[in-house]
Amino acid sequence: MSGRIIFEDVSKFYGEILGVNRVNLSIPAGITSLVGPNGSGKTTLMNLMTGLVKPSRGRIEVLGYPTDDAENLFKFVGYSTQFDAFPKGLTGFQFIYSYLCLSGMPLRDAERTAWQAIERVNMVDAASRKVAAYSKGMRQRIRLAQALAHNPKVLVLDEPLNGLDPLARSEMIALFRASAAEGSYVIISSHILHEVDVISDQVILLSNGYVVAEGQIQSVRNEIQEHPTQILIRCDRPRELAAKLFESEYTIEASIHNDGRGLLLKTRDADRFYLALNQFALNGMQIESIAPADDDVLSVYEYLIGNEEVVR
Amino acid sequence: MAVYRRNYRPYSGKQTPEWSRFLVLFRYSRRNLFRSKFLTVFFVLCFFWPIACLAWIYVAHSAAVLAKLGLPAEILAIDNKFFLLYITVQGVLSFFMTAFAGPGLISPDLANGSLPLYFCRPFSRAEYVLGKSSVLGILLSQITWIPGVILFIIQASFAGASWTRDNIWIVGSLVLSSLILIAILSLLSTALSAWVKWRIVAGALLVAVVPFGAGLAEAINAVLRIDAGHFLDLRYLMATVWTNLFLVDNGRAISAGQAWIAILVYCLFCLWLLMRKVRAYEVIR
Repeated sequence: MSGRIIFEDVSKFYGEILGVNRVNLSIPAGITSLVGPNGSGKTTLMNLMTGLVKPSRGRIEVLGYPTDDAENLFKFVGYSTQFDAFPKGLTGFQFIYSYLCLSGMPLRDAERTAWQAIERVNMVDAASRKVAAYSKGMRQRIRLAQALAHNPKVLVLDEPLNGLDPLARSEMIALFRASAAEGSYVIISSHILHEVDVISDQVILLSNGYVVAEGQIQSVRNEIQEHPTQILIRCDRPRELAAKLFESEYTIEASIHNDGRGLLLKTRDADRFYLALNQFALNGMQIESIAPADDDVLSVYEYLIGNEEVVR
Repeated sequence: MAVYRRNYRPYSGKQTPEWSRFLVLFRYSRRNLFRSKFLTVFFVLCFFWPIACLAWIYVAHSAAVLAKLGLPAEILAIDNKFFLLYITVQGVLSFFMTAFAGPGLISPDLANGSLPLYFCRPFSRAEYVLGKSSVLGILLSQITWIPGVILFIIQASFAGASWTRDNIWIVGSLVLSSLILIAILSLLSTALSAWVKWRIVAGALLVAVVPFGAGLAEAINAVLRIDAGHFLDLRYLMATVWTNLFLVDNGRAISAGQAWIAILVYCLFCLWLLMRKVRAYEVIR
């Protein structure tokens, strides 16, 4: 089993409608977030990597297996769709149990494994109730349970945080982290950018069916040259610092904080700025903190895709 | 990048054989079907005619009862026509059973959008259709050829080796005629429910399709003065095949071979309709 999820020049067209186009990706272990506006191709990408739709062109391999090899693929892939797609009349337990049986697990193993999955998502008390009577958050959790019930190495989760209250959301994020820490590949699509920022090891930004950026968020930010880097500095003499920085050609803009104890700087060359700042510190300027202000997913999203449909 | 502890442990126990997984669907779907009291009662009613046929066989072989009723033995002859009558009545009951049970098999899954859940397992579309259709297959078998074969065995035990030797081919006809009926009804009902998605409408549509086809066939034949309209009449096609299988000559307007081909075309068309709809994701243009 190779160690990556690979897309090679993958395109998917629904008739004349573009799903995704010319996607080349190599996704490592850890939490990878797919970020993009509605219709950007996130769900198509997930359906492609789980073999539910076939690519119009290109090749996809999940840990060395082609996606049309369902027998092998779904031994280590779990998928939770974004829709409330529950067969009628099943209880939470039956829902997990029946799909484990369908996956080829013997009845006794399926029962034990189903309960383990239900425990992992804290749904033991509600397991004997019908899924139709569940709240949205409970449905999300039972859906997650069915995806991770067979302990898959690749967990593909379409909008898993939608409809969850803050507590359930933090429990869910803890679950993703635990899975990733065990060496799993957790692929998440989400609109909630500040959470994506916190949980993701890497992001894939999509727009109109094209991958516009991929990788660790800081690396992606560093590649965006047309937008100056924003840096927050807290120090004792911000005005003096601003004046000195304006002597260099890489400083574009500086604004002093209202309390007079810091400034927000925009620079074309962050590396040279940090070198200069070291020099100021050596010369006696007291610098309390330095923090990049725009190397998060939200900023990168706004720079590359625009600020539509961003959930802050 | 975090440093990962590689302690992932997938399920490594025994797996059930690939071919047997469709039985999971069969088990759940059958249990769901028999939650309906109406279906359970109708299922029981379907055995009344086989019991009546059993009584017929008994009377035909009981000289005392025949004498008491004052009937000549020839009137109650147990032959190919008797078994054709048996399968015709059971065929009608099977049709109504399918109209009630068939559409509920696939339409809820499509309406609830739960097909991706089935297909993100080692489980194919063909296995899904097989799993769902097998419910109807077994159900209709229980009311068509299985009681028919039992009736034949009972008749054979009464009539002796000579009758059995001469009429053993009837068993093949019983089984084959039932299987054609089961195949066309299962495929037609599941295909209709896949396209309509609304269980009640799909059931009503199935009930309407057969008489509508018959009416249209008659209209075409009358207006154009041809016999080709019969190809649209599923009831006529089935009757043609059955009379041929039971060696009963009723002077049909189309040959048995043509009826076989037409039924096969209908089956393939239904299968094509099913495969167009039974997908993880429906592409809406």
